[in-house]
Parts: sequence; structure tokens; C-alpha cells
Amino acid sequence: MKVVLPVLGLLALIGAWWLATIVFGVDSFLVPSPADVVASFLELPGYLLEQTLVTLWEAVAGFGLSIMIGVPLALLIVGSTVLERMFYPLLVALNAVPKVAIAPIVVVWFGFGIESKVLMVVLVCIFPIVISTASGMKSTPHELVELFRSLDAPRRHEFFKLRLRHALPQVFVGLKVAITLAVIGAVIGEFVGARAGLGYVIYTSGASADTSLAFAAMALLAVISVALFYGLGYVEKKVLPYA
Amino acid sequence: MITLRGVSHSFGGVHALAGIDLDVDEHEFVAVIGRSGCGKSTLLRLVAGLLTPSEGRVEVAGDPVVKPRRDVSFMFQRPALLPWRTVLSNVLLPIEVFGLSPRAYRDRAHELLGLVGLGGFEQRLPHELSGGMQQRVSLCRSLIQSPRVMLMDEPFSALDAITRTELSEELQRVQLELPRAVVFVTHSVDEAVLLADRIVVLSPRPGRIHELADVGLPRPRALGQVELDQVSRELRGLLGEVTA
Ligand SMILES: Nc1ncnc2c1ncn2[C@@H]1O[C@H](COP(=O)(O)OP(=O)(O)OP(=O)(O)O)[C@@H](O)[C@H]1O
Ligand SMILES: [Mg+2]
Repeated sequence: MKVVLPVLGLLALIGAWWLATIVFGVDSFLVPSPADVVASFLELPGYLLEQTLVTLWEAVAGFGLSIMIGVPLALLIVGSTVLERMFYPLLVALNAVPKVAIAPIVVVWFGFGIESKVLMVVLVCIFPIVISTASGMKSTPHELVELFRSLDAPRRHEFFKLRLRHALPQVFVGLKVAITLAVIGAVIGEFVGARAGLGYVIYTSGASADTSLAFAAMALLAVISVALFYGLGYVEKKVLPYA
Repeated sequence: MITLRGVSHSFGGVHALAGIDLDVDEHEFVAVIGRSGCGKSTLLRLVAGLLTPSEGRVEVAGDPVVKPRRDVSFMFQRPALLPWRTVLSNVLLPIEVFGLSPRAYRDRAHELLGLVGLGGFEQRLPHELSGGMQQRVSLCRSLIQSPRVMLMDEPFSALDAITRTELSEELQRVQLELPRAVVFVTHSVDEAVLLADRIVVLSPRPGRIHELADVGLPRPRALGQVELDQVSRELRGLLGEVTA
């Protein structure tokens, strides 16, 4: 059932799409039928898979980097009121800036290569990770904190054995939000300036009016997102079997 | 074992405790009763080193208390177990935090769990246990510290009447087997009379020692014993004065 229902949902969607292109006789230049899209994928399977890997790698690298920066940042914020007061508003402000607006600058600074895309991914991912980790750590029940104090536990024990561990379920909520944003961040970066990646494929196929190719690339983006999201869900189940 | 001399404590403008003098012997069980808000928890937290007194001095084993000590354990109203740890590793938490080897204390932990009737539950998670069993785990976690002083802040008040009786009788047994200095805060006069050698009656606002009563009944005692009821009645009279 776990696999059957989503597959049924997908088939229903593709069926409706196909039916719509036939019934309304839409020009395949505007909305290609599923068959057109598959055909267009089969023309360049190697190339498209290569671009998929590029985008996947950008998203995963940026996501990993966001965890490596975001979790320590959350620890600092929870650990020090001074740091919290100093940097929390900045973080909120940073998040409020539309990422599409930053992307051209990021590309100017870091070039057409992977670096600018990874940075874009970090910019969109870091906020949900920091917020969920920090708020999870802060929601640690008072009596447990008091227990650690009564044992004169070192700060690092209070943080790692208690607060961070308590926050884990909420950290995963933030990670799940972040992983879907990661792919979006990578594509935004590729739109603005790149030589590879699915976003680049969509951008150039738009310019050459190859709508089927653009749709094929979008379908691959969807596949990456879904795979990453459920992959993360799998990790969560392994780490938190009781949550 | 515990010495308080002229201890007062204020939180900002709130005067919680005033002029407390109290000595607790090495193997003595002292119960503290009084109305809600009269400073019972504050008293325990001062002895635990979780608070520093505004005035006066607090000593444990002859040393001034400046921070929490390893040989002083604190037991809360709620079990305060880490939900992701098994019973056994919850009991071993103090050992881990102290930087000692949990392995070296495993046998001791098993023994303590056996003592409170939790043998065989070592690998369970807290949510699989009843409230009474969880509080027993919490008791074992206190005992693994081999504390010279045990501080207990209404440890049984969140439990139903039957479990509560069971646990207080169990605590009496533990205290007979492994005697130590205990300060036990409770709202229940009967519980205090069952367990304590001496009972401190606090009067509120600010908290002062209104009366220090010797129980002086032989052990083991049992709830419902006529002699206990007599002492209880006298104490209720004293508490009535405080409330009036
Ligand atoms: N952290 C704190 N900040 C400010 N005031 C406090 C704090 N802790 C306790 N108080 C105040 O000090 C007084 C004594 O509180 P305490 O918790 O010691 O009472 P208690 O006798 O334990 O009450 P209860 O029986 O309800 O547990 C109360 O008036 C309370 O409002
Ligand atoms: Mg209290």
C-alpha cells in the first residue's frame, strides 16, 4: 500500500495531463504530452542524467554544508543570549531577502561553476535548519535541565547529551523543509548563470522553445526532490525509531 | 552532615526564606512541611547548591556549598527521565556526567533496580513504565551517586494514593538499609510521620521554622499505626496555627 497509492496518484496525474492535451488539442509547443516528454528524454538520456547529477550534487553539497554551519550556529544562539541578540535579527533579515535577488550577485562573486550554486543552496537551507535546531533545544523541559544542573554537568553534556538530543525530532522537521528548498536553490543559481545542471537545461530549452525538453528536465527535478525527501525520511526512521 | 546558619533568601523583591537554622545528622531523615509557596523548594535548592543564599551560610559535610556536589542527590516531583534512554542508562546518567565508567557501575545499577522491584526492566524505555515505576527509576538514579545527602522535593506527590503509600514504605526500607542524611519535602503529614526522624514545619512569607518536631517512634513504622496517627494529629494542629 505504501508504494501503490503514490504510484496510483502519479498515474492519475499523468493520465489527466495526457487526456487534457488530446481533448483540448493543445499545441505540443505549449504543453507537450507525456509521450513527447518521454521521447525528448530518450533522445538525450546520457546528457540529461549527467545534468541531473550536477544539480543533485549541488543540492546535496549545499545541504550538507548547511547542516555543518547551521547546527553549530544554533548551538551558539542557544548557548549565549548575547550572540542570540546579535545574530538572530540578522538571520531573519537574511532570510527575508528574496533569494532570486541575491542570485545574480552570488554568481558575479563566485562564478559560473558549482561554488555559486552551493552557496545559493546554503542561503535557502540554513534558515530552517538553524530555527528548528535552536527552538528544539530551547524547548527542552525545565526539569531535565535542572537535573543536569543538579549533577553539575559540564555545559557540553547539557548541550549534547540533553538539549541537542531532545531537539532531534524538530531538527528533522527543519531538515525536511531544507532538503526540498535545496533543489530550488540550486536551480535558481543555475538559472542565473551556469554551464550545466537541470536549471541550465530548462533555461536554454526555453530560449530555443524546446518545451518537451524543459518538461523532461522538470520531471527529473521532481524525481530528485522526492528521492531526497524520502531518503531523509528513511534516515530519520533509523535515527529516531520511536518518534 | 548539613548545616544551615541564619540562612535567608530573596528573589528580587520576594522574601522566600528568613533566618533558617538547621542541622541534619549523617543518618537523619528530616521532613519539611508547610503551605505552598513557603519556601520548601528554595530550602532544598540552597542545600543542593542550585541557589546561593542572600544571607547566612550553608554547609554540607563541613564545607560551604558553592555549587552542586556529587555526593548530594536531588530528586524532583516528576521523574525527569530522559525519554530516549533505557531505564538502565537513565540510572547510569550521573556516572556518565561525572566522567566515570558506566560499565563499572552496571552491576550496582542492576542491584538498585532490583532493590526497588524493577529487576528485568533494565532495557525498557521510560514511556513503557507507570508513573510509580518511573519515580522508582529516578530513586535509583539518585542512589547510584552513593549520596551522603539526598534531597527530595515532593517526590511522590504526582502519584496516586496507593502507589504513593507503596513508594513511601519502600523509601523507609531503603533508608533502613542504606541510611544517609535526607531532606524530604512533602505536603502529606502522614508521609512525613512515617518517614522522618524530625519534622520541620515552615511558616510562610517569609519562610521561617515554626516548629521542629521529633517523631521518636520505633521503626519500621507502618501507615495507619495508632501512634503515627497521634503524631499526625498534633502536627495538623501545628500546621493549622501556621495557616491561621
Ligand atoms: N525562581 C524564582 N524567581 C522568583 N521567585 C521565586 C522563584 N522561585 C520561587 N520563588 C518564590 O519564592 C517563594 C517560595 O517558593 P518555593 O518554590 O520555595 O515554595 P514551595 O514551598 O516549594 O511551594 P510549593 O509547595 O508550591 O512547591 C514563592 O513565593 C515563590 O513565588
Ligand atoms: Mg516546591
